[in-house]
Amino acid sequence: MVDDFRTLLALVLVFVPLSLLSIGGGASLLADMEHQSVSVHGWTTPREFADLFAISRAAPGPGTMLSTLIGWKAAGWAGAITATVALYLPSSLLVFCVARLWGRWRGSVWHSAVERGLAPVAGGLMLSGGIAVLRVSPGGPAVWVAAVIATVLLLRWPRLHPLVLFAASGALFGLVGLW
Amino acid sequence: MSEEAPLGGLTAETDAVSHERHQIGLTPIFAAFFWLGVTSFGGNTAAWLYNRIVQRRRWVNDSEFLSDMALGRLMPGSGGVNLTAQVGQRLRGGAGAAAAVGALLSGPLVIVVALAAAYTRIGQSAVAHAIMDGIAAAGIGFTFATGLKLLPSEPARVGPLAVTLATVLCVGILRWPMLPVVLCLAPVSIGLALARPRIGR
Repeated sequence: MVDDFRTLLALVLVFVPLSLLSIGGGASLLADMEHQSVSVHGWTTPREFADLFAISRAAPGPGTMLSTLIGWKAAGWAGAITATVALYLPSSLLVFCVARLWGRWRGSVWHSAVERGLAPVAGGLMLSGGIAVLRVSPGGPAVWVAAVIATVLLLRWPRLHPLVLFAASGALFGLVGLW
Repeated sequence: MSEEAPLGGLTAETDAVSHERHQIGLTPIFAAFFWLGVTSFGGNTAAWLYNRIVQRRRWVNDSEFLSDMALGRLMPGSGGVNLTAQVGQRLRGGAGAAAAVGALLSGPLVIVVALAAAYTRIGQSAVAHAIMDGIAAAGIGFTFATGLKLLPSEPARVGPLAVTLATVLCVGILRWPMLPVVLCLAPVSIGLALARPRIGR
């Protein structure tokens, strides 16, 4: 009982600082999570960490749900919930407060210029994210080809539900893998 | 009504916006973001949010989405969750943000643990890995298609387009760290926006 509580406390003490210090999103979080859960606390072996990472990539939701799995490995369901809240609550509160303050200037020239000025940067970050995932994808040239086909299909038919495409692509790769 | 009175001079526009937004209840917000969470495969929450919340439901517009996305990436934490908190805040203040973030995370939390519990049986299979590659490929295509749709499109918008391409070159291709690149390009882009007359909305 006391040990369980200690583990939960340790999860909070690991994930709250990560939440507030990890600027740059997924990639910078990952390295720190690996260090803390493998080397410092021994919640997972290196092999288990790699497996959990692969699982988190296959599941829906934000890419950083790996934190949930580390919590689960360390302390079951209570750990999963603790790690999730500890990772996402502090950063969400911070961004909420900033957005709220920022909203008070809505209607001013500066507010409008900053929002319009950030837009093209955000578009560039979106495309860069696609390139980054493509670069680390283990699937090889088949993934590149399928990614280009998916891009073209979605631009050509904007009403196509992305899930249809995800299911078709997964099924196709699975069939080729069987064969 | 959780919104406080805005600063002087801005009352009319802010009231109009919040009045219109407050017609979206907490239940629809929770439902929309819960569904977004459990269907957002491929790791790109922002692209899914654009597809479901901006394009399908039209709860926020393109420029609001993009500026929230940029701020979400600049702040610590997960970019997708930060974006969700901001969009929830736009929709219904603090309660909207809490509902959106809670709904986004609760479904995937259960699913990812269930997958991990089942992993010992399916994890070693080559077919499972192939299916995951296929899903990843579609996810990359989805990200590219969303990014391309959001390119500054009107004519005489060479400046914003150049900023987008510079971002892709520095962060995507040259792999420079995101934060300094954005901190250099954002002021340039904001200056361009200040300099040019506002075109429509």
